[in-house]
Amino acid sequence: MERKRSVRRRRKTARRSWLKQCKEFLRQFIAFLFSNVGIILLVAGYTIAGSFIFMTIEGKHKLKLKEEVLNNRTIFAGKLWNITYELNRKVMGKEQFNASIDELLRLYQKLVVNFTRRGFDGTDDLTSSAQWSFAGAFLYSLTVITTIGYGNIYPRTPEGKIATIVYAIIGMPLFLLYLSNIGDIMARSFKWIYAKCCLCRCCPGVAKRRALRKIRREKRMQMDYDSDVTGSDVTEVSISNPPLGPRHSTVSEALTEELDTDVQNVPVPVTVCLAIMVGYICSGALLFCKWEEHWTFMDASYFCFISLSTIGFGDLVPGDKIYGRGRDFYAEVLELSFVFCSIYLMLGMALIAMCFNLMQEEVIHKIQTTVRTVKYILRCNR
Amino acid sequence: MSIRYKSDPEIAEYESTKCCTSFLHYSWKTVTCLFSHVTLVSMVVSYCVLGAFTFEALEVANEKKVKSGIYKIRENVTWHLWNYTQGIKAFDEENYTRGALLYLKHFENSLLDKMNKDGWDGEEDPDKVQWTRTGSLFYSIIVITTIGYGHIAPKTSWGKVVTIFYAILGIPLMLLCLSNIGDVMATSFRFLYWKVCCYTCQKKPKKRRTRGSIRSDKLSRSRQGSFRRYTRTPRLPELGPMSHSDTELRYLDDPFPSRRRSERFRKSDDPSRKISRTSTVSSPPVQQNHLEPPLRGYSLDRKRRAEEAPDLDPSLIDRTPILFNKYIVGTDGGFERMIPGKGITPRQTEFQKRSASVPRTRRFLEPPRYPSPDGSTDVEEDVDSLKDARRPRGRSPRPSPSPRMMTPIGYGLPGRYYDDDSDAYDAYEAGKARIRPVPIWLCVFLVVGYILAGAYLFMTWEGWEYLDAAYFCFITLTTIGFGDLVPAKEVSRDNSRATISIALCSLYLLFGISLLAMSFNLVQEEVIGKVKRIAKSLGIIKSTSDDEDDDDDD
Repeated sequence: MERKRSVRRRRKTARRSWLKQCKEFLRQFIAFLFSNVGIILLVAGYTIAGSFIFMTIEGKHKLKLKEEVLNNRTIFAGKLWNITYELNRKVMGKEQFNASIDELLRLYQKLVVNFTRRGFDGTDDLTSSAQWSFAGAFLYSLTVITTIGYGNIYPRTPEGKIATIVYAIIGMPLFLLYLSNIGDIMARSFKWIYAKCCLCRCCPGVAKRRALRKIRREKRMQMDYDSDVTGSDVTEVSISNPPLGPRHSTVSEALTEELDTDVQNVPVPVTVCLAIMVGYICSGALLFCKWEEHWTFMDASYFCFISLSTIGFGDLVPGDKIYGRGRDFYAEVLELSFVFCSIYLMLGMALIAMCFNLMQEEVIHKIQTTVRTVKYILRCNR
Repeated sequence: MSIRYKSDPEIAEYESTKCCTSFLHYSWKTVTCLFSHVTLVSMVVSYCVLGAFTFEALEVANEKKVKSGIYKIRENVTWHLWNYTQGIKAFDEENYTRGALLYLKHFENSLLDKMNKDGWDGEEDPDKVQWTRTGSLFYSIIVITTIGYGHIAPKTSWGKVVTIFYAILGIPLMLLCLSNIGDVMATSFRFLYWKVCCYTCQKKPKKRRTRGSIRSDKLSRSRQGSFRRYTRTPRLPELGPMSHSDTELRYLDDPFPSRRRSERFRKSDDPSRKISRTSTVSSPPVQQNHLEPPLRGYSLDRKRRAEEAPDLDPSLIDRTPILFNKYIVGTDGGFERMIPGKGITPRQTEFQKRSASVPRTRRFLEPPRYPSPDGSTDVEEDVDSLKDARRPRGRSPRPSPSPRMMTPIGYGLPGRYYDDDSDAYDAYEAGKARIRPVPIWLCVFLVVGYILAGAYLFMTWEGWEYLDAAYFCFITLTTIGFGDLVPAKEVSRDNSRATISIALCSLYLLFGISLLAMSFNLVQEEVIGKVKRIAKSLGIIKSTSDDEDDDDDD
C-alpha cells in the first residue's frame, strides 16, 4: 500500500517535474535575490540597467543643445566682425569699440548663462555627450535611488523625467532594502568583532570578574527592593515573590550565563560608532583630495559629508574634470573616478546605516539606565 | 530581570511616597513638553532662522566678490579682442571669425567656471545676491531636510564647515519633528477616517461613506481605545478556530481574553479567587487557552499569529505577578473593589491620576525595542492592558457602568495623548505585525494627489510646464533634489515675489514630507503584512522578510 502510493506520487511528480522544477528554481532565484549577496547584485544590476536607459533617453538631447550653442557662437563672431569692420573703416575709435564689444559680450554672457542653466556643460564635440557617458549615467542612477541627487546631470527630456520618477519609485525601496540588509549584517559582524576582540569575551578571567560584579549589583538591588515591598502588600508579595527570587545564586551559574550571553547583546559604545563615521569620512576625503586635482582636504570632506548625508548639493562632484574643456582624453581615468565614487557611496551608506543601527540600541540602553538610576536616587532620598 | 524589578518598586514608591512620583511625573512632563509638537516645530523654525542669519553673514561677502569678478572677465576679453583686431594685418572675414570664435569660447569657459566653481548665479548686479535672508533660510531648510538642491551652495570654507555641523544637528532635529508631525497627522487622519466611515458601516469599514453619524468626542475616543486593543491582537496566542471578517472583530470582540479573565478575577474580592488566580498564573498559558471559550474570529493571518504565540508564552508567565500588582494600583474601575479599605478616600480621583501617571512615565522610559532578556514587551503589555482596563468597553464581562462615568474628567485627553506616543514607539517594533485600518490605496491616492496638486500650484506660480512641475514635486518630496528646477530661480528676481515663492515652496515641502511620513506610518504595517505573506509564499526565509519590514519602516 505504502509503496504503491509512493510510486504513484513519483509518477505524478515526474509528470509535473518540469513545471515544479521551474517553479522551485524561480523561487530559489527570488530568495537568492533578496538574500544578502543577491541584494548587492540586484542593486548593482538595477543601477547598470538604469544607466543604460538614461543613456539612450538623454543622449540625443545634448546634441541639440550643443548645436544651438555653436550656432550662437558663430552668430556672435559675425557680429564681432561687423564691429571690427566698422572700426576698420574708421567709423569709431577705441572707446566706442570697447563699449560696443562690451555690450555684445554682455548679451552673449546672458545667453551662455541661459544655456548653462539648460544643461550646457562646456564641451564642444557633437558626436558624444560626455555627461551621459556610461559612468555619468551610472552615477546619476545611483544618486537617484540613494536620494542624494547631485544635480550635476539631470534629465532634460520629458521622457527622461518620467523615467526618473518611475525609476526612483522602484529603486528607492530597493536601495533601502539593501541598506537595512547590509547594515544589519555589518552591525552584527561588527558587534561580534567588538565583543570578541575589544571586550575579551573569550577570556575567562575577565568574564568571571564581570559576572561577579553583576551578581553583587543585583543582590544589592534585590535587597533594596525587598525592603521596599514588604511594607506595602504582604499577601501579594508573598505570592508573587517566589518566581522573582534571586536567579543567580551561585557564581558558576552566573558565569555560565555570562559566557552564554549572546554576543549580540553587547552594546557598542556610541563613541566607537561616531569614530567609525568620522574615520570613514576623513579617509574618503583623503582619497578624494588625492584623486581630484583641485580639491582641498576641506572640500573633499565637505563633499563626503554632503554625499553621505544624502543632501547632495552637487557643487562638488567627482570627475569634475570630465566637463573640463578639452580633456575628454582622460575619459577612461575619469570613468574610474565615477566608479570609485559609486563604490564609496554604496559602502558608506551601508556603514552609516550600521552605525545608526548600533547607536540607536546604545542610546536606548543609555536612556534606560539613566532613568533607572534617577529612580534609584529618588527612592533613596525619601 | 531588571525591568521586572523596576516595575515593582514603582508601586511601592507610589504607595509610600507621592513626592517622588510627582517629581518624576513633572520632570517627565517637562521632557515630553520639550519634545511635544509645538516645541519641536518652534525649535526647528528657530533653528532655520538661526541658520539663515549665519549663512547670510558667512556667504554674502564672497558672493559679491564673485559678482564683481565677472566684470573683469569681460574687460579682459574686450582687451584681448582689441589687441587681436589691432594685430591683424589683412582683413578677412573668415580668418577673423575663426579667431573671434576662439575668444568667445574662452569667454564661455570662464563664465562656466564662475558658475560651476564659484556659484555665480548669472546676475551681475551686486545688490541682487542669492544669499539674502530668505535665500539663506531656504538654504537652511534645504540642508536639514537633506533635499540639497545645490542651486546655492556655500563657497567659503567657513560656510562649508558650518554647513557640516549645521546638518549634523539639524537633520536629526528635522527628522524628529517630521516624524512627530507625521504621527499627529496619522492619528488625526485615522480618526477622521473612522469618523467618516461611521459606526453604521461597521460591517464594511473599508468603504468610505458620507459623514452620516455625529459622534461625540468622548465616544470616538473610546473607539480609539477599542482600536488599540484590536491592533494588539497579533501578539496573542491564537484562541478560536472560528474566523469572521475582520471588520466584525474590530469593534465587537475583545481580543484579550486572558486579560479580560484576569480582570474578572481581580474584580472579585474573596480570597479563594485570589488563590485561584495565582494557580492560573503558574499554569502554562496553553492551559489558559483551554479555559477560554473559543473567541469569535480573527481575520489576521493565522500563521503569523501561531508563529508569534510561542514567543509570548514565557513572557506571559513572567509577567503575571506584576500584572496583578499593577492592576491593583492602576485600574480605575477595579480600584475600590480590589483593595478594600485602601482605595476609597475622598482624594480618590487624585489618587487615580497619580497612579496612572506611573505607568505613563514608565512607558516613556522604556522604548520597547531594546532586547532585554525578559523581553520588554511584557511591560508594554502591562501598560496596554492597564489602558484597556481603564478604557470602557462595549462588551465587558461584567455589567459595567457607562464609560463616561468611569473615566475621570480630564483624564481622557492625556490618555489619548500618550496613546499617540505609544503609537510612535510601536512603530519602532519592526517584527510585530499589526494591521492599520486605513487602506493602502487611500494613502497612495493622498500622496499622488498631493504631488499633482503641487504640480498645478507650481505650474501656475512659476510658469513651468505641468510635467516639469510634477517632476519637481516628486524630486523634492523624495528629497532627491537635483536642483535643475528651483522655485524663484527663473522668475524675475523681483524680491517680494521671490520671497513668496520660496515661502510657498518651503511650506509645500515641509507639509509634504510630513504627509509622506504620515502615510508611511499608516501603511507600513499593512504593507509589512502583505510583503511577509508574499515572501512566505515565495518560500523566502524569514530573516529576509524581516529585512523587508525594515525597509518599509524606513
